[in-house]
Amino acid sequence: MSDEILVEVRNLQKHFPGVRALDGVSFCIRRNTVHCIVGENGSGKSTFIKTLTGAHQRTAGEILLGGRPFEPRSVGAAIGSGISVLYQELNVVDDLTVQENLTLGKEQSLLGFVRKPRGLEAVKEILLSLDPSIHLGDMVGCLSVAQKQVIEIAKAVSTNCSLLIMDEPTAALSEQEVGRLFAIIRKLKERGITVIYISHKLAEVFEIGDVVTVLRDGQVVDTLQVAEISRACRDVPESCLRIVRLMLGKVVVETYVPRPSTGPARTLLEARNINNTKLRGVSFELAEGEILGFYGLVGSGKTEVARVLYGIDEYEGEILVKGARRDLRGVRCALGAGFAMVPEERRADGIFAGLSVRENIPMMRIGSILAKGLLSRGKENALADRYIASMSIAVRDREQKVALLSGGNQQKVVISKCLNREAEILLMDEPTRGVDVGAKHEIHEIIRSLASKGRGIIVFTSEMPEVLHLCDRIVLMHEGQVGEIVANGSPAANSDHIMSVVAGGR
Amino acid sequence: MTAMVSSAGRRRSMDVQKIILLAILVGIFVFLSLAAPNFFAIRNFTNILMQVSVIVMIASAANLLMITGNFDLSVGSVLAFCAIMHAYLTKQGMPIWASILACVAIAALWGVFNGVMVGVLNVTPVIATIATMYAARGFAYLIARWDGGANITAGLPQNFAEFGRTMLFGQVPIIILFMVVVFAVFFFIERKTPLGRFSYAIGGNLSAARLSGINVVGVIVALYVLVGALAGLCGIIQVSRVGAAFPNLGQGLEFDVIVAIVLGGTSMMGGEGSLVGMLLGALVVGLAANGLNLFGVQYFYQTITYGVILIGAVLIDLAVHRKA
Repeated sequence: MSDEILVEVRNLQKHFPGVRALDGVSFCIRRNTVHCIVGENGSGKSTFIKTLTGAHQRTAGEILLGGRPFEPRSVGAAIGSGISVLYQELNVVDDLTVQENLTLGKEQSLLGFVRKPRGLEAVKEILLSLDPSIHLGDMVGCLSVAQKQVIEIAKAVSTNCSLLIMDEPTAALSEQEVGRLFAIIRKLKERGITVIYISHKLAEVFEIGDVVTVLRDGQVVDTLQVAEISRACRDVPESCLRIVRLMLGKVVVETYVPRPSTGPARTLLEARNINNTKLRGVSFELAEGEILGFYGLVGSGKTEVARVLYGIDEYEGEILVKGARRDLRGVRCALGAGFAMVPEERRADGIFAGLSVRENIPMMRIGSILAKGLLSRGKENALADRYIASMSIAVRDREQKVALLSGGNQQKVVISKCLNREAEILLMDEPTRGVDVGAKHEIHEIIRSLASKGRGIIVFTSEMPEVLHLCDRIVLMHEGQVGEIVANGSPAANSDHIMSVVAGGR
Repeated sequence: MTAMVSSAGRRRSMDVQKIILLAILVGIFVFLSLAAPNFFAIRNFTNILMQVSVIVMIASAANLLMITGNFDLSVGSVLAFCAIMHAYLTKQGMPIWASILACVAIAALWGVFNGVMVGVLNVTPVIATIATMYAARGFAYLIARWDGGANITAGLPQNFAEFGRTMLFGQVPIIILFMVVVFAVFFFIERKTPLGRFSYAIGGNLSAARLSGINVVGVIVALYVLVGALAGLCGIIQVSRVGAAFPNLGQGLEFDVIVAIVLGGTSMMGGEGSLVGMLLGALVVGLAANGLNLFGVQYFYQTITYGVILIGAVLIDLAVHRKA
C-alpha cells in the first residue's frame, strides 16, 4: 500500500570539479506520497533531480526504482521508466494549440501530413479532470503560466508516469493559482502518482507535503513526517523553527568584535519608506564607518533593496545621501550619488572575462588611469599592481585574462574594480558566494578595513554566520519588509531570534 | 598550470589569424607579381590602395562598432546620399568647403539616428540599419530627382573635382592620404582612449559594462556617428574624383566592410578583434579583386569569389578559436 517504497537512494554522490554537489545522500520515497525536498540555494536540490532523471551521471551510489537498480543514461530513459519532471521553465510551444502541444512528439504522419493521433482521448480526459476551463483549441500562448503547467502535467501523466517531479512550481504563480495547483496535486495522488515537490517555501510544505527531506551542502540533514511537525508546531510554536534551523544549518559564529567607535558618526544614507513591486515600506539608515547587513531567506527582498540603491529598479520613497535627497534612476545616477556595487552574479554582471586583470580594474573609474585625457599604460600598470598586492590576487601577471582566474580571485578583481571607484557607500551583494574559506576571510578583512576608513558598507547575504561575524547592525528582511533591525552584540542578535524573524516576520 | 597554457594559447590564436592572413596576402602578391604582367607597377598599387581606401576608412570605425557587438548596414546608402547631396548643394551655388562640412554633418546625423534606434530604443542593429539603408538610398534618388534627372552629371561648378583629384607629390591620390590618417586615428582610439577600452568592455559583457557605470548608449551612438560621418566623407571624395554623382553608388559596400572586418578576426559577437587585422582583411579582398580584374575575370565571378573568401575566413576563425 502506501508504505511501499518507490524510490530508494543509497549514498548518492555527484562530484563536480572542486565541489561535492551531492555528498552521500540517502533516503526513501514512499509510493503515493507528496515528498517535499527543501534547502537553500546550493544545497543540492537541483543536482539531485538531475541525477535522478539522467541529466547528470552520478559519481557513486545507488538508486533503486521499485526495488530494482535504476541507472538512467538520459532524460528519455528516465521518462521511459515513468519519471517526469515539471521544470520551472515550461516546455510548451506558445504558437500551437493545446491539442497540438499535448501530442507534440507523438504525431503520426501519412505522406508527410499529420494524422489525428491515437491516444488523444486519454490525454483529453486527463486534462479535463485536472482543469475543465482549458479548451483543446486554445492557443497556448494565450494561457496563464498556471494553465501551461496543467498542460505539462497532463502530458506527463499521459505517458504513464508514476513519479512526477515539480521543481519550484509555484515560483511564478499567484496565490489563487497556487491553491488550484495544490488541488491538482491532490488529484494526482488519487490517481496513484507519487510527487517530489521541490521548494524553499515552508508554508507550501506544510500544506501539501506528506514527508519532507531537508538538504544542506549536498547532504541529507533529516527526513521528517510533515504531520508530526505541524502537530508539534500547534502545541509549541517555537518548534516550527526546527525545520528552518535544519535548512540553514548549525550556525557557527565566529565572535563579532565590535570595532572601536570614533564618536558619533555622521549619517551617510537614509532610506525612508521604499516601496516597489517587491518591497513594502523599507526604511533604514547607514552611518559613516558602519557595516550594515541585510539578511533574509531567498525571496525576502534583500537583493531588491540593493537593486533600488544602485538605481537598477524603480521605487517610490525617499533616499537621502548625507542629508540631501537623491533620485536614483539608473546606475550612472547612483554612481554619481556616491554608491558602488559588487554585484551578486560575478560572471554575468561583474567581470569582463575576455579582458586582462589590468584592463578590468579601472573600468568603474577610467579617470584613474588617464593622463591628459588618454589611457596611460604606466598609471594603469601601477594601479593593477597596487590592487594585486593589496588584495593578494593570485595571478601569473597583470596581463592574465580574468576568465582564467579562480572564483575567489575573480571576486577580488570585482571588488578591486569597485574599490577603485572610491565610492562612499559600498553595496556588496553576496560578496563571498562561491569563494573558498581563505579568500572569504580575506574579503571580510578588507570590508572591515574599508569601514574603519569611514566608508559606509552594506552587505547583502544569505549566510547567517557572515552577518553575525561581520556586520555592526543587521536588517532582517521578510517578504519584502523590514522585520527588525538588530544591533550586533545585543541579546537580540542570536541565531534563534534571527531565524524566527526571517522565517515568520516576527 | 593549465591556466597558463590556455592563456598563452588564447593570445596566440589572435596572432595565428593575422599570420595566416599575412601569409595569404604574401602568397597572392607573389603569385600576381609572377603571373600578371601589369601587376608590379606603382600605378597598379595606387589603384589597389584607392580601391581598398573606402573600405578601410569606413571599416576603421565599423571595426570598433563591431567590437561592441553592433554593426551598420547603412554605410553604402549613406555614402550615396552624401555624394548626391554634395553635388546638389554645390550645383545650387554653395561653396565646395561649406558643402563638404554640411554633408559630413548630415552623414553624422544618419549615425545619430542609427545610434538612437540601437542604443536607446533597443532595436536590433540589423533592422535599425536596414531601415536607414533604405531611407538614405531613397533620399539619394529623391535629391537626384530634385535636380531633374536620375544622376547629377552636368552643371557642376568648375572646381567641383579639385578636391577628389588632388595628388600628393604628383603620385598619391588624396583619398589614400585620408585612409592613412583615418587608420592612424582609429589605431590611436583603439589603444589609447576610453572610447576604445569601453568598446571592448561593452562587447565583452554588456551587463557588467552597464553596472560599472560605462555610458553604453553614448559609446554606441558615438561609434555610429563616426561610421556615418566617414561613409559620408568617402561619398564626397568619390563623387568629386569622378566629377559626377550617381544615387546607386556604394551598393553592397556594407558587405565589403563586414567581410574585411570578419576576415581580420573581429568577432561578430563583439568583445574581441583588432584594427590591424581589419587592414590585412581589407588588403586581401583588394588584392584578390585586383588580381581577378587583371586576369579579366568577369564581375559576377568576382562576387562569387568574395562569398568564398568570407566563408573561408569564418571557417579559419572557428578552427583557430576552437583549437585555443
